[in-house]
Amino acid sequence: MNQDILLRNNVQIEGSGEKSIIFAPGFNCDQTVWKSVANAFKQEYQVILFDYVGLGKSDIQSYDRNRYHTLSGYVQDLLEICAALDLKESIFVGHSVSSMIGMLASIAKPSYFSYLIMIGPSPYYLNDPPSYYGGFEKEDLLGLIDMMEKNYIGWANMFASTVMNNPDRPYLTKELEDRFCSTDPLIARQFAEAAFFADNRRDLSKVSVPSLIMQCSNDIIAPTEVGEYLKNHLPYSHYKKLKATGHCPHMSHPEETIEVIQEYLSATVKQ
Amino acid sequence: MDEQLNHVPGGFLTLSEDGIILSSNQTLLGELNYSISQLTGQHINKIFTKSAQLFYQLYFVPLIKVNKKVEEMYLSLESKSRKEIPVLLNAQAKIRQNETVIECIMIPIRQRHEFENALLEAKKEAEAALLAKNKAVSDLEIALKSLKEKQSELLKLNEQNQKYKIETKKELELARKIQETTLTDSISNEFIHIEAFYKASRELSGDIYGVYQIDKYRYGIIILDVMGHGISSALITMSVQSLFQRLISKEGNPEIVVKELDQHLHNLFQNNEEARHYCTAMYLLIDTKEQKIDFINAGHPPAFLQNSMGIQELNSSVPPIGTFEGTQFKTRTIPYQKGSRVLLYTDGVTDPFGFNHLKPLLLDNETKPMHELKEDIIQSMDNTNFAYHQSDDQCFLLIDLF
Repeated sequence: MNQDILLRNNVQIEGSGEKSIIFAPGFNCDQTVWKSVANAFKQEYQVILFDYVGLGKSDIQSYDRNRYHTLSGYVQDLLEICAALDLKESIFVGHSVSSMIGMLASIAKPSYFSYLIMIGPSPYYLNDPPSYYGGFEKEDLLGLIDMMEKNYIGWANMFASTVMNNPDRPYLTKELEDRFCSTDPLIARQFAEAAFFADNRRDLSKVSVPSLIMQCSNDIIAPTEVGEYLKNHLPYSHYKKLKATGHCPHMSHPEETIEVIQEYLSATVKQ
Repeated sequence: MDEQLNHVPGGFLTLSEDGIILSSNQTLLGELNYSISQLTGQHINKIFTKSAQLFYQLYFVPLIKVNKKVEEMYLSLESKSRKEIPVLLNAQAKIRQNETVIECIMIPIRQRHEFENALLEAKKEAEAALLAKNKAVSDLEIALKSLKEKQSELLKLNEQNQKYKIETKKELELARKIQETTLTDSISNEFIHIEAFYKASRELSGDIYGVYQIDKYRYGIIILDVMGHGISSALITMSVQSLFQRLISKEGNPEIVVKELDQHLHNLFQNNEEARHYCTAMYLLIDTKEQKIDFINAGHPPAFLQNSMGIQELNSSVPPIGTFEGTQFKTRTIPYQKGSRVLLYTDGVTDPFGFNHLKPLLLDNETKPMHELKEDIIQSMDNTNFAYHQSDDQCFLLIDLF
């Protein structure tokens, strides 16, 4: 059973250390996006990487439309992995929607986690005036899903042709190919609907595990207002604004990302 | 910018690595309705719809970073007047003067966009239809499963029912035997010979009779038909039987016998109108010494008294017993000659709404011995003409007087 879950979610364990650190990829990405950042923790920690069912090298046969209709299916994936590995007080690092998946998992089973590190988190992507600014109107998100659908045909060609164009960095191309090409259009659509329409604001007060909110600059997906909302509503949270721009600092600015995580961990451990 | 590039039939744009617009050709500016100074130095998000901004961040940024190029990406631009322009975009990242520059060409695809929308719409409808079909199939499977469960439940119930039926049948069979044990034996001596026939339509009968020798010369003979048939009627026959047995053996007076039976039925049902049953009855007190018959017929089919002269009918003169309280039952007397024959019967033996075949049968077989006549009557009831009488109880008594 345990082995089945580890295979199902393509769980990879590397590094030596007593403490475990789990890296959870964001929307529509697989574990390869963590390559640069995760490497920096292998000396000190047992590093755990995985793919949600339907992505990367997970077992696509296990995909169940009903289970992954909402985020709870993905939360279930994470909890089952923690149970299979018998994790206790592990450090959880989640990008984007995975921040919320990790947070919901910590509410269900607080003993699995010691710290939640959230990169570009958002508890709700839609605007809910006058008290909440999420950044988007419903039409914007429906438009995104529409745009994803209209680009499906293009993807296969795009990635297949790029392999030859990067002889100097072949591993990077392979990385992207695994990440995107194994993504089924229907799964991507359902994940987008589950991720972007989830409203987790009411869950924030239930969190008992300490957390770090990593807020990027000029992040269109998780704007600063959202990070600040989290800072004010998430108990035991620490807020850090990054110099890194965009939504994927672990890819675009791995050094700063590593530094901020390590700084937070050493500071809290000292306390 | 090169003059030709500035006016090619397609948009051209350069970006910094951070997505800042460095330059744009006139064709694109025209589409967007911006001047060059309004766009230069701005983030590309300025000319994207909100959805395109998201898509750009989620897909364009990682792609261009890793692959250095993007091909055939569908995006939607937003003009200064907030008009949406669907475009197909190709991009490549180049190093120019030590700086990364992203060069993009964009072709508006308004017509194609309409067409693709229609295709997607059709695809969605097909998907929805497939889902609905699958749901219908799974609903049907559930219905089938519950139907099977119901069926096996029914089979189980049927089995129980069958068992119950067999038990009930056994019980009724036993009850029939008990009912038959109350019937009196036939009498045969130098003065009189009495034979009876008795057959229930189901397991139990609503008919009952009794023949008793009261003293050396007197015989009491009674035949009753309780309204209806089956268990309730049979129970009433048992109740009246025990009474008339006692009454006739002790006394034999027709008026007393019939009056007592009438009163008994009224008593039985005085507190329960719903269960009320009446019953037709005929009681004969035959005195072989005096050669006369005292009788009362209460609503019963006429008995036949046959002698060499012909047949006399002993008709009903009062309503059935258990009908009206306070009915006066008056004994009538009729003399008989030696060699006379009497036939008493219940309505199950004849067709109650048609021709009474018993009278001609008696006339035609005047000289036949009693046991042969009995067989003839039984056979006449078995004729298909009377087959429907199987639904009624059958009973008759033949009496030869010497």
